[in-house]
Amino acid sequence: MSTTDIQITSVLIVEEEVQLTLAELCQACNAPQASVVAWVNEGVLSPCGETPDDWRFTGASLRRARKARWLTHDMEVNTQGVGIVLDLLDEIAGLQARLQRAGLD
Amino acid sequence: MKFKDYYEVFGIPRTATQDEIKRTYRKLARKYHPDVNKDPDAEMRFKEVGEAYAVLKDPEKRAAYDQVGKRWKAGEEFQPPPDWDAGFEFRGNGAEFHGDASDFFEALFGRQARAAQGARGHARGQDHHAKVLIDLEDAYRGAKRSITLRMPASDAQGRVVLQERKLDITIPKGIRAGQHLRLAGQGEPGLGAGPAGDLFLEVAFNPDPRYRVDGRDVFANLPLTPWEAALGCSLSLSTPEGPVQLTIPARTAAGRQLRLKGKGLPGNPAGDFYFVVSIVAPAADNDAQKAAYRALADTFDFDPRAVTKG
Repeated sequence: MSTTDIQITSVLIVEEEVQLTLAELCQACNAPQASVVAWVNEGVLSPCGETPDDWRFTGASLRRARKARWLTHDMEVNTQGVGIVLDLLDEIAGLQARLQRAGLD
Repeated sequence: MKFKDYYEVFGIPRTATQDEIKRTYRKLARKYHPDVNKDPDAEMRFKEVGEAYAVLKDPEKRAAYDQVGKRWKAGEEFQPPPDWDAGFEFRGNGAEFHGDASDFFEALFGRQARAAQGARGHARGQDHHAKVLIDLEDAYRGAKRSITLRMPASDAQGRVVLQERKLDITIPKGIRAGQHLRLAGQGEPGLGAGPAGDLFLEVAFNPDPRYRVDGRDVFANLPLTPWEAALGCSLSLSTPEGPVQLTIPARTAAGRQLRLKGKGLPGNPAGDFYFVVSIVAPAADNDAQKAAYRALADTFDFDPRAVTKG
């Protein structure tokens, strides 16, 4: 097997240093633009900016958008359902963090 | 590479209907989704199930896969026969599965394989996602990691060969679990003159029983003996940053959090490190120890059940 060695000099922390445009988010979570627009209209994702061309998504949106993609395209959950599931998952994650903080997990 | 039996992954017969496949996928995906199932193997199973579904849900891909499947069993050494998918028209361009696909999946359905079979045009390569495990100590100091990615490509004879890329990356100090690193241009190569996609690495911490992490704050248990807690003491303790000398004040109660400001994960602002006190009383095994407990009982007029007394 041939191996190529590559030194990477620039690594960005997505959640802290990156803002994504609509096209970049679609590419990164592999979802069609129509899906991302539907998630924004449903309040699943909340970009800055007025029109889709101006939208800027925080790096933290990537994780949320990847879950939304799975729920929409593999589990065939509708947009409202995606919003509810993601909010519940956030709540579970918050509760688990509290348990962990208390050393009870 | 080994042949993968996607029907075996699903636990269904080859004659299953598309509807059964869909139902089975949803059941397995719910069971193994890493948000729901914290078992360390769950994530791997989830990926495997997702990959199987990417093939079985598409009638064209499934039919092509069934053709190949007649000749191999799960785990057998596998090399896609030439023109194995001749006569099949896959929908969409390339694979629709975007976890970390297995070599087997990539060889059959990956974009490389499609491109080799005569796709034309220029398109940006897809973004890839992978996970990298680091120790909590690495997040305090920053770390160098080598990541090896394997990607099937076609050689001059049109055969599928595995190519390996080793990426040497620096994980920035202060990274937190769940954050992603973006490596520009290290995803899938573009088609034609199209640019390569990006690689996203999700960072996770190796489990460490000593520490719990919440955002940038880090917690550790600090068990004390009753006399250490009552009288106070000075202890030498380890933290991810190295040893610290800690003064335990007298009258320290269980549950008290002793904060080392700024000793959590680095950042702006840095997190804090907490020792969470618990008090552990030893069992009295011999006469001298029992006598010591009796002396305590005689000395203290102490009732921990004052409120719940029956």
